[in-house]
Amino acid sequence: MPAPRLRSRSLRKVFRKVSGGRVSLHYKKKKPKAARCGNCGALLKGIPRELPFRMRSMAKTKKRPERPYGGVLCSKCMRKEIINKVRQ
Amino acid sequence: MIELGRVCIKTAGRDASKKCVIIDILDDKYVLIDGETRRRKCNILHIEPLNQVIKIEKNASHEEVAKALEELGLKARETKPKPKTEKPRKKRKTPEQLRVQKEEKRKLRDLFKFKKEEKAEEKKEATLEEKAGLVEEKKEEVKEIAEKKTAKKETKTQKPKKTDKKKEG
Repeated sequence: MPAPRLRSRSLRKVFRKVSGGRVSLHYKKKKPKAARCGNCGALLKGIPRELPFRMRSMAKTKKRPERPYGGVLCSKCMRKEIINKVRQ
Repeated sequence: MIELGRVCIKTAGRDASKKCVIIDILDDKYVLIDGETRRRKCNILHIEPLNQVIKIEKNASHEEVAKALEELGLKARETKPKPKTEKPRKKRKTPEQLRVQKEEKRKLRDLFKFKKEEKAEEKKEATLEEKAGLVEEKKEEVKEIAEKKTAKKETKTQKPKKTDKKKEG
């Protein structure tokens, strides 16, 4: 029986092959959900799916694409918005 | 729509939503642009043409483009000129300098060596003395032991005699 604190589903289970041929159960923290476009809801590319403490240690350029609305809108939505603004 | 001097807005990449002017038409797909964006080759699909056209020569320089854009109230991209920093070149050392360096090194080396030797010598001397002392002591001990043994033997030899005497007595 696992320890009571590990019986909750807030941790994910990982089967790891340990040296010695034994397979042991490790408990790891769940990763946050992937970032999505604010307009269409598509999965955003170029954004790492990491825990906040790991994101904090990353460079700004590694956390989102370097373009206007990078990390907020997908590239298609961004293009549409720019064109809409221009044509009005 | 795509022609020389046409003011456009970029819709892709890190220069997106910045205004530029077409300087050259390279292909049926690509044009050369300059202005608020970087001066670069660009796909037509990544540009949204506006309704303004500037009079500009083909392959105009960045300064000319900047002047033309100023009339429209736009500021061309300005890159800071990099401050030229000369790399520190390694100079060969003159033989005199090399000699001085060698001497310094030798001094350092001698210093360390001297210390080590001193310590080693002291230890060695101490050990030797100790050894000598030990050896002497050991010899003495051996002598003593031998004496004791002889004494014991004597006693042993004496004792049975006594017993013999007693027996005899």
